[in-house]
Amino acid sequence: MNFQLNEDQQLIEQSARDFAQEFLNPIIARLDQTGEFPKEVVKELADHDFLGLHLPADVGGANAGWVSYVAVIESLSRSCAAVASIMNNHAMASYAISYWGSAAQRNRYVPALIKGDLIGALAICEHGPAPGIGPDALVATKTEGGYVLKGTKAYVRNAGVAGVYVVSAVTDAHDPNALTAFIVDSNVAAIKVGEPITTMGLHGCPVADLVFDNATVPEAAILGTVKGAGEIVRRTLALASLGEAAQTVGIGQAGVEHAAAYAKERVQFGQPIGKFQAVQALLAESATDCHLARLGLRYAAQLAEDGQPFEAEAAMVKSFLARLGSKILVDTCQVEGGMGYSEAMPLPRMFRDIAGTTLLDAPADFPEQLIAASIA
Amino acid sequence: MLAKVKRFMSILTAEQQEIKKATKEFVAKYVIPHAAEYDRTGEFHQYIVEAAKESKIFSMCVPKQYGGLGYDALTQAVVLEEWGYGCAAMGTTLGVSPMGQYSVLIAGTEEQQKRYFERIVKGGLSSFALTEPGAGSDVAAGRTTAVRSGDDYVLNGSKCFITNGGYASIYVIYAKTDPSKGAKGISAFIVERERPGFTIGAADHKLGVRSSNTVELLLKDVHVPAANLLGKEGDGMKIAMKTLEMSRPGIAAVALGVAQRALDECVNHTRKRFPDRKFPPGQMLEFRLVDMQLQVEAAREGLHYTMSLRDAGQPYSEESAIAKTFCGDVAMAVTTQAVSLMGSYGYTSVISKCMRDAKIMQIYEGTNQIQRLVISRALLSPAPSKPAGQKAA
Repeated sequence: MNFQLNEDQQLIEQSARDFAQEFLNPIIARLDQTGEFPKEVVKELADHDFLGLHLPADVGGANAGWVSYVAVIESLSRSCAAVASIMNNHAMASYAISYWGSAAQRNRYVPALIKGDLIGALAICEHGPAPGIGPDALVATKTEGGYVLKGTKAYVRNAGVAGVYVVSAVTDAHDPNALTAFIVDSNVAAIKVGEPITTMGLHGCPVADLVFDNATVPEAAILGTVKGAGEIVRRTLALASLGEAAQTVGIGQAGVEHAAAYAKERVQFGQPIGKFQAVQALLAESATDCHLARLGLRYAAQLAEDGQPFEAEAAMVKSFLARLGSKILVDTCQVEGGMGYSEAMPLPRMFRDIAGTTLLDAPADFPEQLIAASIA
Repeated sequence: MLAKVKRFMSILTAEQQEIKKATKEFVAKYVIPHAAEYDRTGEFHQYIVEAAKESKIFSMCVPKQYGGLGYDALTQAVVLEEWGYGCAAMGTTLGVSPMGQYSVLIAGTEEQQKRYFERIVKGGLSSFALTEPGAGSDVAAGRTTAVRSGDDYVLNGSKCFITNGGYASIYVIYAKTDPSKGAKGISAFIVERERPGFTIGAADHKLGVRSSNTVELLLKDVHVPAANLLGKEGDGMKIAMKTLEMSRPGIAAVALGVAQRALDECVNHTRKRFPDRKFPPGQMLEFRLVDMQLQVEAAREGLHYTMSLRDAGQPYSEESAIAKTFCGDVAMAVTTQAVSLMGSYGYTSVISKCMRDAKIMQIYEGTNQIQRLVISRALLSPAPSKPAGQKAA
């Protein structure tokens, strides 16, 4: 058992840190203020070979494995989690297409996704109790040679900038739990991107609803098999949650380090506040939560990399961080007191960002349900 | 003992309920519809302050004999909770304005009180200026000075993170009359806005309570008459601590409102998302909502108990710190849970504003670490002869 990254993984992690230093640090403030999609940075990610990292060699990927992938996402998130979030959503779309797609689908989309010429997105969530149920559920009706899609996908990240979406839809009204996955080009007529939704943080990663008003897609747009979206969604979202956890850990670690440095400098009652046990406790507990989350995250990523079942372990990380992730920034901001509440300091942005990485988007399917089911 | 229990058990009086209802209506009409836009721009919500003038609510802490509403502490908590529910920034403006007034109530002469409260009754805001860049939790480290010169004191220095500082008409400013004496060298002064040499610095852009005005105050050879000194020279620290004891439960009330709002938003969203009995939210979601409610209810009961002690004229110093700490921590925990639990909806709705706003509740008016110091000193102080954990009746 080895808890350290191996040499290759360390090199990849270092290259991500260097990338963050060179390309992310200079744009963080602008991104946070304007919320503009950082198109040029996504292209740089591609040019630095980050967008094919998680994909197998036969589709042009680097096959670096999930441990490296989450190390990269964590490293980027230490600087700018918005870009890491864009990358994670993009990477999950390219993963789904490369894993379940036909040769034709892979050839058509994956090279462009790796090169960053095409941006990908997942469109899974809906406004109803669960995907497939509810008045706005996306329904795909079979026609000659294809399907007509009607309904709304909710809170789609990378919406509007993506050229391709992996969506789930009901194809059998009598069986709304058995969804079918489709690959949908953004330029298909009758697909509208809703108004951009203002988010608390992760500014720069666009979020909007995707409205299908009788959009026609060919039969060849089906990803995997009819009614086969269950496995695709489960596995892809489990991997996505590892990427999200890596964002949480990256932001949290950066928050802890910033607050620790502040506690060394800030003098009150005649000594640096870091000398007070109350402040030490805030820092120590935050660092502990980060550390344990990272271990759990890497363990789950290693399982995924080894081809083992990893969904329950991924769910444990998600459950852990849904409870404690945001608290890391709540407590590190506390260390910096009134200063830590000023947007002139970096922690408020991290506070807003980290909350976006710990969301339980499908209340009908809590990670704890999956964990409970996995306990023999 | 019996009287206290009765007081504690009593629910709001008819008059308090009437005030609660009127406040709810005001908040629904003016505060809630404008909160998001003010949060976006960060501009001070002057419009709300103007709209509130008719009700004279900004004089709720001013005794009736001076023309104020003279609300008791429990009623103040009820009003501030509703304002916090609508918008914590606006609740902060209303909840922090009395701080200067409290200092004057605690240590002011009748003449000083009359002079100070006159401005408040006419619709002016007041402000309390203690914090400095180098003196946050460590109040005694302040460097602003007040030097006696004839019939005047001359103030020099700067204050930071001053709530309502840019819009107040009258201030209580703390300065050292004897820097060699540390905490015992601090004195409190009434300072009118128009004093020459007194200027307002830059406003802070904050994580939350964004439309609450937070500024730096700059004092350059500001002359105030000796008649503006509150109490005696060196009384400042005592006055400030007593002021904070009075004002902290007000912040607790605002925090409570924030927590209740986040809970209500979650409940409304859950009802909307799960309208059909065939697809219930499930125990995992339901019980977490319940856990949020448990905290909110406990916070309210503790706060109302604290206010009842104050209204009954009993000591409430420890309870004040407990109420502030507990309500602030509950607001933070409940809003954080709400954002996580409601997923993207939480992250993109007013719930996320509640979470940003809640964070300050653990920081201002004495961080919750400083509160814990206050509480632990009371907890571990030489024990009176009573069973542990039980308050003397």
